[in-house]
Amino acid sequence: MKDQVSLYNKFFIGGLTILAFYALIQFHNYMDGYEVAILISSVFGFSWLGFSWRNFKSYFIIIFLLAFLSIFIYQGNLLIVEENFILKYFLSSQSAIMWMSALYPLSLIIYWFHLFNSQDFSGKLASSLVWIATTLGTAGLLIRWYESYLISIDVGHIPISNLYEVFVLFCIITALIYLYYEERIGTKKLGAFILIIINIAVGFLLWYSFAKGAHEIQPLVPALQSYWMKIHVPANFIGYGAFAIAAMVSMAYLVVDKGWLTKYLPEKDVLDDMTYRTIAIGFIFFTIATILGAVWAAEAWGGYWSWDPKETWALIVWLNYAAWLHLRLIKGLRGNLLAWWSIIGLFITAFCFLGVNLFLSGLHSYGEL
Amino acid sequence: MRFAITMLSFVGIASIIGTILKQKQPYESYIIKFGQFWFDIFSHLDLFNVYQAIWFLIILVFLIASTSLCVSRNSPSILREYKKFQDQIREKSLRSFKHCYEISLPSFNKLDLISLLEKNNFKVREKKNTSSDLLIVAKKGSFQKLGYIFTHLAIIIISAGGLLDGNLKLKTQELLGLKEIQLLDLPLSEIPSKNRLDSNNFSYRANVLLAEGEKQDVGVIPSKDGYLIQELPFSVGLKNFNIEHYSSGQPKSFESDLILTSKLTGKTKEQKISVNKPFTFEGVTIYQSDFQDGGTKLNILITDLQSKDKSQAMKAEVFKRNNLIYMDQSFSFEFDGFRLFNILDIDSSQKKNSKNVGPNFTYKIRNESGQANEYQTYQLPMKLDGRYFFVSGMRATPQEDFKFLKMPADSERGLDGFLIFKNLILNEETIETAINQVILSSATSKDVNVNNLKLSTSKLFKTFQQGGYNEIALGIDKNIPNQEQESAASAYIKIIHLVANQVLLDYKKNNISAEFFELKDLSLFTQDALNAYSDSFFYGTPLFLELKDFEHVQASGLQLTKSPGKFWVYLGSILLVIGIFCMIYVQEVRLWVLKKKNSKNILLTLTTNRHHLTFDKYALEIKNKINSLSKKG
Repeated sequence: MKDQVSLYNKFFIGGLTILAFYALIQFHNYMDGYEVAILISSVFGFSWLGFSWRNFKSYFIIIFLLAFLSIFIYQGNLLIVEENFILKYFLSSQSAIMWMSALYPLSLIIYWFHLFNSQDFSGKLASSLVWIATTLGTAGLLIRWYESYLISIDVGHIPISNLYEVFVLFCIITALIYLYYEERIGTKKLGAFILIIINIAVGFLLWYSFAKGAHEIQPLVPALQSYWMKIHVPANFIGYGAFAIAAMVSMAYLVVDKGWLTKYLPEKDVLDDMTYRTIAIGFIFFTIATILGAVWAAEAWGGYWSWDPKETWALIVWLNYAAWLHLRLIKGLRGNLLAWWSIIGLFITAFCFLGVNLFLSGLHSYGEL
Repeated sequence: MRFAITMLSFVGIASIIGTILKQKQPYESYIIKFGQFWFDIFSHLDLFNVYQAIWFLIILVFLIASTSLCVSRNSPSILREYKKFQDQIREKSLRSFKHCYEISLPSFNKLDLISLLEKNNFKVREKKNTSSDLLIVAKKGSFQKLGYIFTHLAIIIISAGGLLDGNLKLKTQELLGLKEIQLLDLPLSEIPSKNRLDSNNFSYRANVLLAEGEKQDVGVIPSKDGYLIQELPFSVGLKNFNIEHYSSGQPKSFESDLILTSKLTGKTKEQKISVNKPFTFEGVTIYQSDFQDGGTKLNILITDLQSKDKSQAMKAEVFKRNNLIYMDQSFSFEFDGFRLFNILDIDSSQKKNSKNVGPNFTYKIRNESGQANEYQTYQLPMKLDGRYFFVSGMRATPQEDFKFLKMPADSERGLDGFLIFKNLILNEETIETAINQVILSSATSKDVNVNNLKLSTSKLFKTFQQGGYNEIALGIDKNIPNQEQESAASAYIKIIHLVANQVLLDYKKNNISAEFFELKDLSLFTQDALNAYSDSFFYGTPLFLELKDFEHVQASGLQLTKSPGKFWVYLGSILLVIGIFCMIYVQEVRLWVLKKKNSKNILLTLTTNRHHLTFDKYALEIKNKINSLSKKG
């Protein structure tokens, strides 16, 4: 058994390395030094993730297979989507993302079913659905990346540049963080709560896509053409995702505190601990993302801090969670107050993430309604 | 501590105000938005420049001071704790901890235990009591304590770096009366030294706008409702400005070829900069921030839409003004801008379809009394509802949206057709001929007096000439009973259309080279043209400016930054991340093993200052490991 695990690990890391080498040899003309560095560190990063989390390996391999399959079918021709059955209904980025948007609501329903009936089967089914949805969503983003290059070589860019794309990113990152904790704490009961926030995001995504045609790939404005985007945006979304989970777990905490669903949900201590852990991980990533954002701003806008609405709201989010952690770690505070606070924190985060784009204008105006 | 939190909350609230109230806008727009009363209050509180306001800076200074105080007060004890092994502890207190275990270890080997603890990352020290009981004291994760110092120190360093780059120095100079904001738009040479900052100013963010071929050695720092001039240690010239577009017309990149000449050494350097690729010269970093028009030259044809007068040509330049005396009145034309590309979403169908509709230019027409309307005119016709129109927008104040005048393009996609049409319908002769023909062909009933009909039709058309449909509507309102108004209106519109269309038909018949009117639907053109003529009475002026051609001159917007605080902000940021890691992911654990001289059991106690769920598990794990020592022994 142990041999098998290590063989799998070797295969995974070896595969990653070979792919990275291939990319380096094939595309180094299109990359600057920083992008090469990002590619190499992503090999280490994903190796480490795969090494310490078995399911992540399988997830990673499958999204790559799907993406490669799609690229293989595309054969460099974007128009083929209309004629090809597989692309049209499964493996074009838009279809993959639509499948994701269909499977998350389904898994929410099954998670609620599982919450009350507690059977292993329903729990496993729900988790598997989340895994599949996440896999399709990620593959969808990867395929979209390729599609953007098919539109035109100068339009091509990593698909995390507008509200539509980052909403997909938000869904899959939140789901991944949740799946990780689901394994760690050994209960699938919390899915009923976490999937709510993911599905809210899916709802927005669908509305945004259908009502506003936001899924169309747009070229990048000059300020966004930087390797920094590949670091700054994902780091930020790990933060947002983790804060969202913390808020949903806090909701479960308050439900249990009221004496409701106590038979079905984990104990308060477990919920409290998970809230803390997700806020902690979110806080670290959010801090790093904000700092990296400042470094990028210094390069693109001529100042590391311009009091742009997005920056300012990021500061407010940061101060909010800094205060939360301060109270918990230094003052040893626990309980209802912190749970409420983390829920309110989600609203502040949501405003930073979305509200700033909708209601305020500034330098971060990459996605307006 | 409480003070610091209060200050932080203040910073938070002030920041929120700063994001909701759009900062650094022209002051007039605030007055219009809030009214004079609130404007005065807001501007006294500096709410339009929250982040540069004195009170905001003072809060920041207080914040730094109180955080520093906090750190300096707590650090010594933290550092003491960090080094200290707590070996002055009694059995009784050891037993009072939650994670305290009594383990029977018959074959106790001190060295085994120590090496086991060290293997689990503990630092170990042993202490012999006077009673010769053995007490082993161990601890790990002391870095967590340092995390407190790191994070707080980081906040101080970051804020201090930020203040260094803030305008504290300028504010002080302003308060002392040494420097002053210039509110007027003066030529550079007339700006006094009170408004100038010298080139060894240690921190600034200044803007330079350079037209191609231009050279500057000062920058402008916008401040409140005015500006200051920043002297630069070098001159910067723009050799060339390049803008590339995607095939859809959105800008893809812009870059400037600069020539930098040091004032001190006379050394010259040529350098290309672009967005995300700045360049540092003599300690000043130069960024590509935006681009503007640099005084594009425009060739314009002015036409009176409501008279038969001939068009006249005018040469204009963006950011300059032209004066014109017309009908005994003097007008000034102020040309404010020109845009080569305009991406508009004009197709009304569902799908997003942004398209480049070509160049436009904006200008104001100011009359003698100083009132002005703003115009935005597109050079090329746009396709709207399947037909091509020349489009020009007008508004009286910047708060309004543009109202558009749409003139139909002729079959050559030019404006000539419409201008010919206008002249035709303003010509008494052609109109009369047309009216005669229309009435001849339509008046079948004999009891109608043909002459009366002619007379009333020509009167109707005169009214239209004088004020468009609106004038006719006013007449209807006055002279016709309510219930018949609607049918009268539609009849009138029909008659005007018939006549006008007849005018065009006549024109086509008489002019063999009527190449402008090879249209599929002439009657639709007539309708559009009549509408345009009628709308021209709401255009604010009868004068239409048609852009014939242009010579595009661009200007590059640069930002020049000197930011000594950046290093400190980055240093603080690194410290901050390390500190947060220490505080969150390093778990401080203290451990004691007490072995009484005569006892076969040992007493194991673990504590931590942060009780996470995992600690219970961890304590048990350590206990089991120690337990298994006896089996090995």
